[in-house]
This record gives sequence, C-alpha cells and structure tokens, in this order.
Amino acid sequence: MNLKHLLLAGGALLGATAAQAGGFQVTLAGQKNNGMGGVGTGLALDQASMFYNPGALAMVRERGVQIGVNATMARQAFRSQYGGAERQLDNTTTTPFNLYAGFGPAEGKWKAGIAVYTPFGSKLDYADGWEGRTSLTSIDLTSVFVQPTVSYAITDNLSIGGGLVALAYGAVNLQRDIQDPAGGHIELDGTTDVKYGWNAGIFFKPSDKLSFGISHRSKVDATVKGGDATITGVTPSLQSRFQATKFDVTLPLPATTTIGIGLMPTEKLTLGLDVNFATWSRYQNLTFNFNAPINGSTVSSSRREYQDALTFRLGGQYKVTDALTVRAGGSYDQSPVKDGFLTPETPDNDRYGATAGVSYKIGEHFGVDVSAQFLTVKKRTQTYEELVNNGTANDRIAGTYKTNIVIPGIGLNYTF
Amino acid sequence: MYTFLKKGAPALALLGLALGSCQPELDAPKADRGSADFSRYIAVGNSLTAGYGDNGLYREGQLSSYPSILAQQFKLVGGGEFNQPLFTETQANGTGYLRLAGFTPQGTPITAPVTTNLALRAGSTAARPLYTKYTDPINNLGVPGIRMSDIETPGYGSVQGNPLFERITPDATPTQTYRQRVAASNPTFFSFWLGNNDVLGYATAGGSSSSVTPLNDFTAKANAILDDLTANGAKGIVGLIPDVTNVPFFTTVGPTLKATLAGNSIPAVVVTTGLIAPPAPVTRLTVPVANIRDASGGSVLFTLTFSPYAGLIGQRTGRVWRDLYRQTGQPAAGLSLFLLAAQVDTTQLFGLSAGNPIPSTFVLDATEQTTVSNATNGFNTALRNKAAAKGLAVFDANAFFASIAANGFGINATTNSASFLSGNLFSLDGVHPTPRGYAIIANEMVRTINSTYGASIPFVNPNDYRGVIFPQ
Repeated sequence: MNLKHLLLAGGALLGATAAQAGGFQVTLAGQKNNGMGGVGTGLALDQASMFYNPGALAMVRERGVQIGVNATMARQAFRSQYGGAERQLDNTTTTPFNLYAGFGPAEGKWKAGIAVYTPFGSKLDYADGWEGRTSLTSIDLTSVFVQPTVSYAITDNLSIGGGLVALAYGAVNLQRDIQDPAGGHIELDGTTDVKYGWNAGIFFKPSDKLSFGISHRSKVDATVKGGDATITGVTPSLQSRFQATKFDVTLPLPATTTIGIGLMPTEKLTLGLDVNFATWSRYQNLTFNFNAPINGSTVSSSRREYQDALTFRLGGQYKVTDALTVRAGGSYDQSPVKDGFLTPETPDNDRYGATAGVSYKIGEHFGVDVSAQFLTVKKRTQTYEELVNNGTANDRIAGTYKTNIVIPGIGLNYTF
Repeated sequence: MYTFLKKGAPALALLGLALGSCQPELDAPKADRGSADFSRYIAVGNSLTAGYGDNGLYREGQLSSYPSILAQQFKLVGGGEFNQPLFTETQANGTGYLRLAGFTPQGTPITAPVTTNLALRAGSTAARPLYTKYTDPINNLGVPGIRMSDIETPGYGSVQGNPLFERITPDATPTQTYRQRVAASNPTFFSFWLGNNDVLGYATAGGSSSSVTPLNDFTAKANAILDDLTANGAKGIVGLIPDVTNVPFFTTVGPTLKATLAGNSIPAVVVTTGLIAPPAPVTRLTVPVANIRDASGGSVLFTLTFSPYAGLIGQRTGRVWRDLYRQTGQPAAGLSLFLLAAQVDTTQLFGLSAGNPIPSTFVLDATEQTTVSNATNGFNTALRNKAAAKGLAVFDANAFFASIAANGFGINATTNSASFLSGNLFSLDGVHPTPRGYAIIANEMVRTINSTYGASIPFVNPNDYRGVIFPQ
C-alpha cells in the first residue's frame, strides 16, 4: 500500500474529510526514492526496495538498517459555490516514517529483511463553520504496515522477491456535524483489524546500463469493527433518533502494479521511470453500519465510484563525489475521483510533483538522505449541477479546491 | 559533514521558501450586475415576499425574507439600500405565529401560538387586528394575504381592509390601492411574485370556501401592474405560482391516516365536497381508503389542519363540526340549526357515516385538485406570456417545488426535502417556507436573474438559514 492509497482510502473512511495528507498521492517509503520523484521499482537503490520491488532486494549489495521520517504539510484553499469566503484548513502536519532492516550473506544469492512503513497518515482539520461541515469537519488517519520480505537472485541478472504485508495498526478518527434539524456532532473513532496482503516483484538487469522491474501489491481491506460513535449536541427532542454508540466500516484499498525501468548511462548517473496502476475501482461505496439507528437508519452509505488510475514517475540521481549524491524528479498522478464525486476527505485531482534530494556519506557505513517534495493538486471545481446529475448533492459540497503539499524528509542509514 | 551542510544550505533555504508560498489562493468569484441595475430594488408580492412563516409574520421571518436575501446579494453588485417594514424588537413577534411545543406520545407534533410581544395597536380586536403602523419608505411591498384580484380595490389598505396592508399604508392616502402603491415605487429592478392566494385560499380551505380568481381578471390585473413596473424601463423577475398540492400542508396527514385506516380494515371514509353553506345542500362523497394519496398512489389529500381530528374517525363525536362552526364566527346558539341544515348527526360514527362526514374543509379531492391545477396553469401561462413580452426573468416556482417534492433538495452536504418538520424547508403552517426555504428560493431567483441579464451575482449558503426550530 503506498501512501497515496492509504491517504485516499483514509479519506474515504472519514466519509468526508479532505485528507490533509489524505487523498494526496504521496509515496514516501524511501528517502532516496523521495528525492527522485518516487521511482524505485526498476532500481535496486537500498533497503527500501522491500517496498518498491521486493524482487530487487537481492540485488542490493549492502545489508543495512535505515530509517526515514517526513513531514507532510498540506495547505488548501476552498471556495463554496453557494456562499462563503475562501476557506483554509487549520494547519496540521503528519509525520510518515519508514524503517528497514535488511540482512543476508554479503555475496550470497538471497537477502531478507523487514520493513515498517506508514503508508498513510492523513490529517485534515477544516476551519470552524466551513460550508461542508455536515460532510466533514476533521479526519485523522494513521496506519502502520509491517512487511517481512525475502528475495532471491536466480541468476546474476534476475532476481525475485516477496513479502507478507500486514496492516499491523490503523486508526481512524472522523468527525462531522449532523445536519439540521437534529444538529450536533458525530465523532467516529476506531482501530482497524490486523489484515494481511502480499507484495511480490521481479527484477531483471540485463546489463550494467539497464534494469527492469515489476512489482505487485495486493489489495487489503481496512476494516474497523466496533469503533466508537460519539454523538453530542443533538436537539433534545430528536436525541432518541441518535442512539448509535458503535460502528463498523470497511475501506477497500486497491491492488497496485508497477513497472519500472532503470538506466545507468554512466557510473555516476542513474535514471528511473515508474508507471503505477492502482485498482481504485474497487472503491465504490463507503458504508458505515451502526449498532442503533442514526436518524432512522443503521446504515450510512456514500457513493465513491472511484476509477482505476495511473501514476507516472521519473527521477534520477547523480553521484557528484563518492560522498555526495544529488537527486531530482517529478511525477504525474491521475486522480481516481470522477467529476461529481469529490468529497472533502479527498479533495483530489490530478497532481504534479517535483522533488529534490541529496545524500551524504559520512565514512564507510553511515549516510544521511535529505529529500523534499512539492506536490500541487490541480485546482478542481465541482459544480452543484454535477452533484445533482450524479445524485450526490446530499453528502458533499459544490465548490473549488486547490491544494499544495510540501514534504521535507530526512533519513539515516547504516550499511554493512 | 561540512560539505553536506554547505551544499545542503541552499536547498534548505529553497525549501523554506516553498513552505512559505505553499498556501494556495483562489480568486474571489466574479460578481457582476450584467445588464440589470439593482440600485433601487422593489419587491412586490404576498406573504411569501413579506417573509411570512409559521402561520404569522414576525421580525425574524422578515429578516430572512427572500427579498431581503436577494437585496443582500445585490449589494455585492452595486445594489442599493433595501428597507423592510420590520416589526420593532419590542414587538418582534408581529402578528404572532406558531411554535413547535412538542410531540404527542404517538409522535404527532403539538404547536402552540406565540402571543407575547405582538405588534397590535390600540383599537385592535380579535376579529379585526390592527398593527402598529410603519410608514417610513420601504422597498419590500409584500402584503400577506393579498390576491391579484385585490390590487385595484380601493380601501384594501384601510382599517376595513387587509390589516397588514393597512399597517404600511400612509395615513394621508388611506384609499391608495396596492397597484397605485406599486406604481409609485419607481424601481430600477423588481421582483414580482403575486397570485398564489388567488388559488391557495381555495385549496387550503379544501375547496369549501373562498374562490379561485377568474383567469381574465387575473390576467388583466397582472398585465396592468407589470406594465406599471416596467414603465420606466425597470428590469425584474416574475415568480410563477407553485401547485400547492405538493406542500406539507396537503401531504403530511394523508399517508399516516391511510396507513391507520388500512390497518383497521376500514375500506372507505365519508367526506363532503364543495362549499359548506347550508341551507345549500352539502354534498357527500365516499372516498375509498386506497384513494388517499401517499407514496404508493392515490389522489385525495387531507389538510394539515385535520391532524388534531384524525384520531376521532369512527367515534360518535361532534367536535369537528362544532369547531368548524365556531370558526365561522356565528352565534353559538345557531349550532343545532347549522347541523340540521347540513344534515349532520353527530351521534353517528365520525367519518364513516353519511350523517357525520369529514367536512370538505379538510379534504382536497380529485375534482378540487383539478380546479387548483387548471387555475395554477392558467395563471402561470398569463405570467409567463407577460414576462416574455417584457423581457423579464422568470422563476418557475411550480417546476422548482415539484422537483423538491419529488427529489428533495440536497445542497452543501445537507438533505432538505418537502417533508413536514424534518425537511427544513417548510415552516409549521405547512405552506410557507422556513428561512432556509426562502434562502433556496433566493438562490433560484439569482440563478435565473444571472442567466437572463448576463449577471454573476453570488449565491448564499442555505445552511446559514434555519429550518424548523425543535423544542429543546
């Protein structure tokens, strides 16, 4: 599950939350990759291959431990079609992290390792009183995935690998105001069940100058059972209609397939290109089931009807000296959200990303990786007429969103 | 490490810059008046224009009248001051109105009249209220109760006339007609939504009293007053008349009643149809329960005012007819003669026998609905033709309310509907909108004004306006 998926999915969990980092396509699983537009499937850069292409792990020469942390800062502007001045999010920052430990014989055919990453950590706080408050007032999603991984080099040119992906921990907190005439506020708070999926890849390097990779990550259903529903402030004469205290929800996260190419025209220069395909179309509805009726129904369902989407990534690194490497890259990410289906938890659109990074090796074993990403989500206007035509005007808002995200990150690695 | 810092510093500086400029901005939407001039906006109409709701006119309703909301939006494109004949804060409850007091154990709403802080003045009686006068210049000329047929009636603004027109009629010109008042208002832009009462009064009385204005009278007066309004080249918007059978006043009681009767295996009820004016014969009509309109079909409508009596069906009671007679204002002693003349025997089973039928006042049967719908369509054709001849914008309230009745009205992540109480749009009288209902009407008017005059007036957020107030 990459960050984009989790974020988007997380937004869905809310039922309505503009993912501050949710809904934002960001792949933050490796600090070197982060500086190169997020490429990695066709390369064997470092231990983060466990995430990008387990098949490439066996081709990573060093064993090592690496840790990275990022600060995702999203800034959004919104204008409702029906009333109101420009709205901005209350500024929040999330800190996705990643941790890898790889081991295996220095010259052997196999490598193994364990990866821990937080593919989504979405947090969006809409301003008080904003026009879409009955859709969403805030969302906070966190998840931690753990992935034990093995990789085996069949020949000098071809290696395969796979991992067991466990959604080890996930938490959602989704809040919104309740519509008139009841008024009040509902908070949905829960943790996900542990769920398993897999990740597998093939890496082929026919020459020193060329490499290919393909990897697949399976779908995972993020499921909350028995989460707490807390309802406050409902008009007293209508409180009997709002008795729910528990909720269940399932968020289907897509499977993704990535094809990557690596080019090494010189010893110092590495270029990568990734194309990623995500089966977002499995996300058709976001349905909450409650243990007691909320305004007459125990089920609250909201249409999502996402479509499958592609992401294109291009990046490179140049080894300036033995110690210093610089990186740059860019990405183009198609939105899975169709016109008329935009929701505040994922105010999504196609996005462009520009990245830069630098690594410095201190001595033989120790290195620092710094990366920065700037993502701009294209301005997107959803009109009331589109919502009416889709029959989705009851649970989302017409207006224009524009979002920018800045993600600085730093990583430390120790190789041996 | 030093090299790293040296090389990294510019990158970090760049990053700081990126963070600082990260917050996106969206340009304010264009606001333009197009070819219209909103410097002097005049609102012409009836209770809907005045801001009437909850069976009364009071200050809060006036403040959220659709003309008030329109004027507020017009100001964004150069509109002028807009004055309404507001009740003072000490007389904020105006004519009085209904509030929702609670619910019966069965869930039937209980309303109660608000009778404090009224705007009554000396000389007022229960039968003929008189309100504190408001004679400063005003832009909102909405007069609750006025019909198209009333606009040329001298004395309509006198103490013998409509008390809410009398309230705003200058003391110096007590016989000024409504049309004369409107003609003297000299607008640059106007809204005109008049004529609802020419059919509404008939409908809400279940066809038992009042009458529908003849089409030729309606057309002549509508054409004349619209000629007056446009005499100096003013532009404006004309509101059409909604078919009132879609409002909660007619759609709330029937479905519940139908379910209850069907549950008790009662095959039909007996009602009267047409005028109740003994000694003229009071015609009986047997209505099969299946013919009562609900979501599954049927046509016969019961009024919201029947709600307190619905539980009496099948009892030997004269309460309904007694209350009905009392409302006529006749001396109480005449009740037995009235019942005799109407051939009503209150010892028989109410609603189930020809001797003790449900009065027509509470029932709008299919024939009466045809009268309503024919009148509505005729009036709307007249209004549409005149608006087209004058190049005016048209707010098709008939199509709009029909659409709300069929599909609800979701906006800004909120579901609104034509349901009584829970739908947010209709006030406690079941006919007049809530402030939120008026806000969406204002938005629809803005939409058609924008398209007719090439303007781009911003919309309001309907959720900023309340629906029904539930008891705390």
